[in-house]
Amino acid sequence: MNDREVSREVIEACRAGDRDAFRALYEIHKDRVYSIAFYFFNGNSEIAADVTQQVFLKLMTSIGQFRGDADFSTWLYRMVVNTCVDSARKYKPASEGSLETLAAHDDHEGAYARTQAANSVRAALSTLPPKFRIAVLLRYFDDLSYEQMAEALHCSMGTVASRLSRGHKLLAERLKSMVEGKGRS
Amino acid sequence: MRHIASQLAAHIDGRLAPALSQQAAEHLRTCERCQAEYGAVKQGMEWMDSLPLIEAPASLWTSIESGLPHHQATRRIPWAWLATAAAAMFAFAAYWLLAPAKVPTWEVARIEDSTQRTSRIAPGQWIETSARSRATIKVGAIGSLDLKPNTRLEVVATQPGEHRVALAHGEIHASISAPPRLFFVDTPSGTAIDLGCEYDLKAADDGSGLLQVSKGWVQFEWNGLESLVPAGASCQIRAHAGPGIPYFDDAPEGLRLALDQGALGAILASSRVRDTLSLWHLLSRVDVDARSRVFDRIVALTPLPGGVSREKVLKLDPATLKRWREDLAWIW
Repeated sequence: MNDREVSREVIEACRAGDRDAFRALYEIHKDRVYSIAFYFFNGNSEIAADVTQQVFLKLMTSIGQFRGDADFSTWLYRMVVNTCVDSARKYKPASEGSLETLAAHDDHEGAYARTQAANSVRAALSTLPPKFRIAVLLRYFDDLSYEQMAEALHCSMGTVASRLSRGHKLLAERLKSMVEGKGRS
Repeated sequence: MRHIASQLAAHIDGRLAPALSQQAAEHLRTCERCQAEYGAVKQGMEWMDSLPLIEAPASLWTSIESGLPHHQATRRIPWAWLATAAAAMFAFAAYWLLAPAKVPTWEVARIEDSTQRTSRIAPGQWIETSARSRATIKVGAIGSLDLKPNTRLEVVATQPGEHRVALAHGEIHASISAPPRLFFVDTPSGTAIDLGCEYDLKAADDGSGLLQVSKGWVQFEWNGLESLVPAGASCQIRAHAGPGIPYFDDAPEGLRLALDQGALGAILASSRVRDTLSLWHLLSRVDVDARSRVFDRIVALTPLPGGVSREKVLKLDPATLKRWREDLAWIW
């Protein structure tokens, strides 16, 4: 049984106010929601935790409005998008995140190189305009269809495709210039 | 030559419709500019693969749990409290059996001459703004509704599964963040159904009106007639005749005029690729001869996707029309 099937089973119980079911739902989605917020705010774990908390509190207080025939992931990620965008207004521009946070999650062989690469990507990602950044993160952290992403981002599927194309292209360009900059120094 | 930069991510992800994917592949074989863009987009995607999933802090659940409403946070009851709880539950059950069912109400903020007053509104109640006042209604937990001056509106339903108002006349701005089909606005000439969106809706005393969508999609229905209006598009509401043909707000003036006048030749001649939004809606509103001309014009503007045939479109086969709309929505 995959995560989504589990979600379908527990959503009904959540709607009935079952606390354990909500905990199960949280466990299924927490890391993806947290990761999106974490990278959206350039590795700031404090803001990522605040965004994740806001998302799940909104989710629990409004899950009574969620109908079983609608798509739960779309609904969840729309909250994630809205909360990230709202929080971006509230917080100052993303600061440099802590490198230790990433290193702590990867202690296998070759960890250093991977951590360095991830930090570079995270830093480059944080320079993208928010609408490209959130689209790229949505594509990466869950297997959403373009239609689901369009609903979560309040735009058409064509716009999703366009933002993903431009976002990934910009990311590659920023990383290329970072690598070239290091090479010269 | 039309470049495909904006479609490259969808092409790499295999999310383009077959006909568009084939066109993209053919274009990439000969266009050096798009080949370079393709390389950059693919490189960006590969870089993203180096990002690990980050585990949420274990302490986060405790913070969330403390923020939950108490009635959701106390499912497990210590045995010592059972007798007291049973008595309380009996009293509570008796109250719910004897008392009338509680209907949710919505918060209303009325603003007149820079003075704001807050109250609640229940189903069956009306709210009316004057030339000098406006109001904002909090639609349960799913969004808000701004009433412009000179607007009259009734709250019809406030249940979690159905949020419904009736707009008698005036202008509203709706901003809804909820699963589709939870928020409805009835007007004298049909119903606006939220599909996850933000929009403005005007209704005149004679039943005519205008729907303008700024985010997401809105469906407008009247007696089986329906229009699907995406962000950046509008749809005239005809007095007691339902939704007109939707059009993009940046559509050529000639097209908008032709749609008003029902001048098919001018509609077809002035349509751009994006205006297939209007042409697709026109298919089911004209006779079979005109439908054939509309079909030809759409196909001249953008290739027919797999699974959509002329014969089935002309017969208005619902599944075929839906399949075609989903494909066309890429360019809307």
